[in-house]
This record gives sequence, structure tokens and C-alpha cells, in this order.
Amino acid sequence: MSTDLRAPRTAPPEPALPRLGPVGLLRWAWRQLTSMRTALFLLLLLSVAAVPGSIFPQRNIDAGRVADYMAQNPTTSPWLDRFGFFDVYSSPWFSAIYLLLFISLIGCIVPRTKVHVAALRSTPPRAPARLHRLPEHAEVTTTLSPEEALAEARTVLKAKRFRLHAHDATSVSGESGYLRETGNLVFHLALTGIIVGMAVGHLLGWRGDVILAEGDRFASSAGTYNTISPGPWVDDESLPPFVLGLERLDVQFNETPGRGFGMPREFTAYTSLQESPGAPVTRQAVSVNHPLTVGGADIFLLGNGYAPVITVRDAKGTVLYRESTPFLAQDGNYRSVGVIKVPSAQPKQLGITGFFLPTAEPTFANGPVSLFPDAKNPEVALSIWEGNLFPGGAPQSVYTLNTEEMKQVTKADGSPALVRLKPGQTYEMPGGRGSITLERVKRFAGLSVRTDPGAPISLVSAILATLGLILGLVIKRRRVFVRVRREPTAPDAGAGPPVTVVSIGGLSKDSDAGLAAIVQAVHDHLAERKDRP
Amino acid sequence: MNLAANANIALYSSMIVYTLAMLAFTWHLAARVPTIEGVRVEDREAVLVGSGSRDGEPAAPETPSTPYAAGLVGEQTLKSRQRGNIALMLTYLATALLVSSVLMRGLAVSRPPWGNMFEFATAAAAAVGVAYSVLAKRNHWEWLGVFIVAPILLVLGLSLTELYTEAGELMPALKSYWLGIHVSVAFIAVAMFTIGFAIGALYLVRRHREEKPPAKPNFIESLPTSAALERTSYTVNMVGFILWTFTLIAGAIWAKEAWGAYWQWDPKEVWTFVIWTVYAAYMHSRATAGVDARKSMYIALAGFVAVIINFTLVNLVSTFVGMHNYSGM
Repeated sequence: MSTDLRAPRTAPPEPALPRLGPVGLLRWAWRQLTSMRTALFLLLLLSVAAVPGSIFPQRNIDAGRVADYMAQNPTTSPWLDRFGFFDVYSSPWFSAIYLLLFISLIGCIVPRTKVHVAALRSTPPRAPARLHRLPEHAEVTTTLSPEEALAEARTVLKAKRFRLHAHDATSVSGESGYLRETGNLVFHLALTGIIVGMAVGHLLGWRGDVILAEGDRFASSAGTYNTISPGPWVDDESLPPFVLGLERLDVQFNETPGRGFGMPREFTAYTSLQESPGAPVTRQAVSVNHPLTVGGADIFLLGNGYAPVITVRDAKGTVLYRESTPFLAQDGNYRSVGVIKVPSAQPKQLGITGFFLPTAEPTFANGPVSLFPDAKNPEVALSIWEGNLFPGGAPQSVYTLNTEEMKQVTKADGSPALVRLKPGQTYEMPGGRGSITLERVKRFAGLSVRTDPGAPISLVSAILATLGLILGLVIKRRRVFVRVRREPTAPDAGAGPPVTVVSIGGLSKDSDAGLAAIVQAVHDHLAERKDRP
Repeated sequence: MNLAANANIALYSSMIVYTLAMLAFTWHLAARVPTIEGVRVEDREAVLVGSGSRDGEPAAPETPSTPYAAGLVGEQTLKSRQRGNIALMLTYLATALLVSSVLMRGLAVSRPPWGNMFEFATAAAAAVGVAYSVLAKRNHWEWLGVFIVAPILLVLGLSLTELYTEAGELMPALKSYWLGIHVSVAFIAVAMFTIGFAIGALYLVRRHREEKPPAKPNFIESLPTSAALERTSYTVNMVGFILWTFTLIAGAIWAKEAWGAYWQWDPKEVWTFVIWTVYAAYMHSRATAGVDARKSMYIALAGFVAVIINFTLVNLVSTFVGMHNYSGM
């Protein structure tokens, strides 16, 4: 982004190529990288490179959709994966583009800052001899003395915030719009600030997700989150030790028939919060767009769903399992799937899996379907499996059932046992395996706890970048020169007293509609004064 | 009083008036077509002198390559001026109706009236109408009218037939004062990009015809010079770019509040970023010595294509599923 350094126009007849040593080669590469054309090319490349990330599912957003996509496209997806199309924004090629762009940017800011600092200290250049050659020019004849005329011109330019300097007694040079380059430099510098903020957030930030059913509490520590992803430099011990309980989750959906039927209207979680164990309890509401802040972390309400309370008893009636079990919503009407694992069941471990339907379609003609997201007619539809829950002892997700070493429980006639329960109902499992009861339905809140120490750096940088951008685009760098000469008589009149001819010339590097007005203003000001005695 | 129903009546009325305005603008353009026979040689010289110098000195000695290639802008006939004024008046009226429709919709739902695709499209069309109305009189942009009003009509028609959503409450993610800030600045930026695009496209045509003068002049020859069109398009796009920068940052702040992270490469974020980088490249190429203005303009036009994709495909096609699913569809 430094000024374009190109070979001089008058090339020697025999182009003698200079020998580039390793240093020369490096210098050449550096000049290429920091040229404005390269920066332009990299910018365009960056915009094109960002697009695949919006077309292919991305692991950092939704790993599940990536897995689905790979299952549906078994031939192309391994290649796409190899080239990073499912992790575009951390892929080597995307990183290479923006890193090169930022190197190019820094390589341009540093020399340009030096040049600008020098320009800020220097005086406007000497006025050219022939001002009528400049893009904007005007001439006026006045009876003022040359000194007076220059002084008048100075007043106008001073009021328009020009920096003025007289290189000789018959001219004055003015320059304005230094803030343009200042703005440009601030903008580019602030862009690097945004990247620094992102890097700090990545290294020092962390994120933990937790699912809390109504009535549950959890104490924040590295081990208590359902998932936690700390930055590389985060000390697990440093997490804020708050205690959060979910008392109630209020949910509203649109019940008016029509296009928006079933759309969410309101989610609010009413919580009890202690800054640390033993600290006083405060009641706090968390809702979408209204996070909660505690100990430097923000708590967001990002998800919700149903956690039916299910009890599993053995044949003697001993309770083997009684928990509110979160079922995760699969569609807009909250058809949800969940798993109950009962390792203590005898003689074999039991795994129960299936659907929770907040407003069950009663016939099940198209399988288990929910008609509305609110709990108008809640029902669970479950199948029962027995065998080894944890084949090989490997850890597994609480939301999936590994049926590799399990068999589905069947009724006496050999058909699979399908359990349909409404709140309060109990199902007796075949073969004296015990019973399953749906006690009642609770809601759960999906809460995300996050810190991002880099965000303030990015925010301040972004604001500075915007201000710099506005200055850099709106302000124009202008030079205006005024020259006076004494002539014996007015050119249009016959004989008379000597007059002063004032030439005004204006020059701008940028497309500048306002320059003509300034030249005109100096002209008009002098024209008004010319008849002063 | 049913405000939402009245809002729709105002919307239909504005479409009728915009249609009349479009016809009037076309009528105006027809009157602008320069007739070579009609322009006397003395007139042409007067125009040249007037445009080239300030103090009555002779103008720069450049003769136009064709009789109508230079400086016929000032030669508006009475007829074309009258038609232009009629068209502008109709545009003002239609825009006032459209703005009142947006306001009534907002009052009907007690929130900023841009919470789904239909409302966003209508509000953006209103912003284009207002921006054009404000700028047209001062800059003598009657020639631009048809290229602004036709897209407005297209957007309004499509949003009524394809995107219409009953006035209703917002989904929780949109219930934030940032809706008023982030989205309104976004559609004002889109309005600027639209005007910048229309002028930019005219610039390309005008420049092509300047370089290869056609046998017969048409209204294109009555437009400002290609250099002037290019400058105007740049200025309008520049305002759009600054507003888009603000949109991007405001969106990030809102995302932090709503989703806990200010940037997650959600498809809408990706395309907002793509638009930003393309227009940044345009600004950059224009500041680069030796880049042809026409090439820069192609970048700006590509940026507008990205704006269109961002509003249509990204909202409606399931490939782009992300967290910005507010189309109301």
C-alpha cells in the first residue's frame, strides 16, 4: 500500500537487468508485497475466499451438520475436508491471505507514517510559476497593493484552515487536509488492532456450556460444564466460582395461526446467582439479548427445551433412576430426542431412548410428530434396549445411546416394545424388568458462559477504524497557491494607476468537488475588495 | 383504526404513484435525446466556453469528437425540464406514501418496522426513495429517476407477492434496541449502494459511447460526462461504505449481546464481510495510481451483486443456514 514504485518511463535502449542478490531479491519481494496493487489483489482474494465458508457447513459453527454433509457426499467430502472447506476460517489458505494482507498493511503503514510525520512538519511547497496550468484557477485584478492582496488571500485561506507559508514576497502557498492521511493511517493501524483483539480473545478467552433444568443448580468450575473450550493460555483454576440455579424458564410461542405460527416470542430464565459459594443469593433474569455478568464472565441464554422427569424402577419397585433428563429439540416444534442410561439395572444394563413431543400428534400416523413447540399435550415415545451400555468402557455423550452391544427389548409376541407415556403414567416393562414412569415435564435452559478479554481491544480498534475511515475518505488534501504581480494599468481599462493581478491556483490529489469553491472564494473575496481606496 | 391495513393501502398507493413517476421519467428521457440538427453551432461553442474557463479566457483547445460528445448537459429544453419536474413531484408523493406506510406498520407493531424480510425490503425501498428525493433536485438527477424508481417498484412488487408477512411480534433474538440501529443503518447503506450502482452502470454505458461514438445519439449523450458520473458514483458508494462499516461493527456488538460472541462466521456475517471487503477493494483501487476507473467500477458493481446475494440467497436458501434466520418465511 505504499506508493506504487514502478520503473521510470524512459527506459534505457538496452535494458540491462540489474543483478539481484539475495538481499535484493528480498527487497524486491517486499516491495511487491507492500505495493497497493498487491494489497488490492489480496483484498479481492479475501472476499472470494470467505464465500465457501457460507456455503459449506463449518465445524466451528455446527459440527453435526458437517457430519451430515459428509455422510451425504461420501466421494467429494473427503477432498473438501482435505482442503479445509469445513474449517475455512482456520484453513491455511484463508489464514495465508489475511496474514499476507496484514503484513502488506504493516509494510505500508510504517513508511507512510514516516512520510506523513515529515509532511506534518514541513511547509507547503513553493507556488508554481504558472498557476493557470493548475486544475482549478482564477485571476482577479485589484487596486490593492500586492502585500494587501496577499494578506486578504491569507485571511480567506486561514479561515478555511489552510496551513500557509510564503516562500517569497509575491506568493503564498497553502495546504490543508493533513487529517486525511492521519485518518488513513489510523484506519489501517486500527485494523491490526482488531486482529490483535481477536488473537487475545482466542488465547485468553474461554467458553463453557451447561444445560440446567428447572430447579437445578450448578457451581462453575472446569469440571462442571457439559462442554468447556478454554483458550490455550487459560488457567482452569481461574474460572469464576459462581453458583447458578435455574428457578423457572418462561417461554412463549406465537399461537396465532398463519405464517408465524409456532415462532418463538419470549424466552426468559429466572435464576438464583451467588458470586461464589457462600455469597448472598441474588435473583436475576437472563433472556436473549440480556446476558448476565458475573466475575468477568457473561452468561447467555442460548437454548432451551424440555427435560421430562423420568423414573425407572426394578421389579421390586426400587428406584434405579429418577432425573430430569434433557431431550434436545430437533425441529421448530421441539420434537426432541434424549437418552436414559440405567447402568444399575439387573440382570442387564438398560438404555432407554426416544422422543419427547411437547404437543404430540395423537395418532402417530407419521411416526412421532410434535405440532406445536409449547407443552400443550406432552408425551414421550421410547424404545428400550438392554445389554452393555459402555462397550469397551469408552466415554460417550449423554445424548446418544451406543447400541453396538445392546438388544432391543421386545414384547411377548416378539414386536419391539414401544413406550408411550403422558405425565403421571407408568409403563410396566415386559419380562419383569421393572417400570418406567413419566413423572412430570420440566423445561431446561441452555446457558453459555463466556469471557473474551480481547473484545474491548477489538471494539476500540473498530471505532477508531471507523473514525479513521471517515477522515480518510471525506477530507481532501488540497493545495492552493496565490501569486501577485504588479502591472502598470488594468488590462481592460486604458491608462490608469498601477494594479495588482492576483492569480489563484488549486490542486488536489483526489476527486475533489470542493476545490473549485475554495479557489472561487478567494477570487470573490479579492474581487469585492478591489475597489477599496 | 387498523394501522397495518392502512399501511398496506399506503404501500399499494405508493406503487401506483411510483409507476406514474417511472412513466414520467421515461417521458423526460425521451425529451432529453439531443438532436444534432437542433443544436446550433454557436450554442455549442457557448457551452464549451462556459464550461472550460472562469475569467472569459478561451477554453482549453479541445474539440469534441462528435457534435454531441461534450457539454450538452446545460441544454435542457423547456419540455424536458417540465417533464422532469412532473416526474420528481410524483416521486416525492410516492416516497411520502411509502414512508407513511413504513411508519404506520411500525406503529401497528410498536417496534422498528424492519423485523422480517418483507419489512426490511419495504424500508430499504423507502430509504432509496428518500435518498433519491433529497439528492435529485439539488444535483439535477432527473436523468437518474427511471433507474431508481424501477428497482423500487420491482422490490416492492416482489416483497408484496413473495415475502409478505402479517404485522406481528418479533422473535426474541430481534428484541433489542440494536434492531433500530444496526438494521436501519444497514438499509440506508443498501440504499446508497443502490444509487451508486445505478450511476455506476450508467457511467459504463456513457464511457463506452464516449470512446466509440454511436451513429445516433440518445439520452445517454445528455447525461453528465463519464468522469462526472464516475465521481458521483464513487461519492455515493463511499457514503454507503462508511455506513456499511458501521453496520458491520454494530452487528458485531449486537451479536456479542445476543449470542455471546461478536464474530462467528455465520453466513450473514460472512456476506456482510464479503460486501465490506469488495467495497473496500473498490475504494482501494480508486486510490491506486494507474488503475483504470472502469476496472474499479466493475469491483463496485460486484459489491452490489454481493449485496443482492446477501439479502436474497443468504436469507432464503437453506445452504446458508445460520443464526440470522429472521426472514419470517
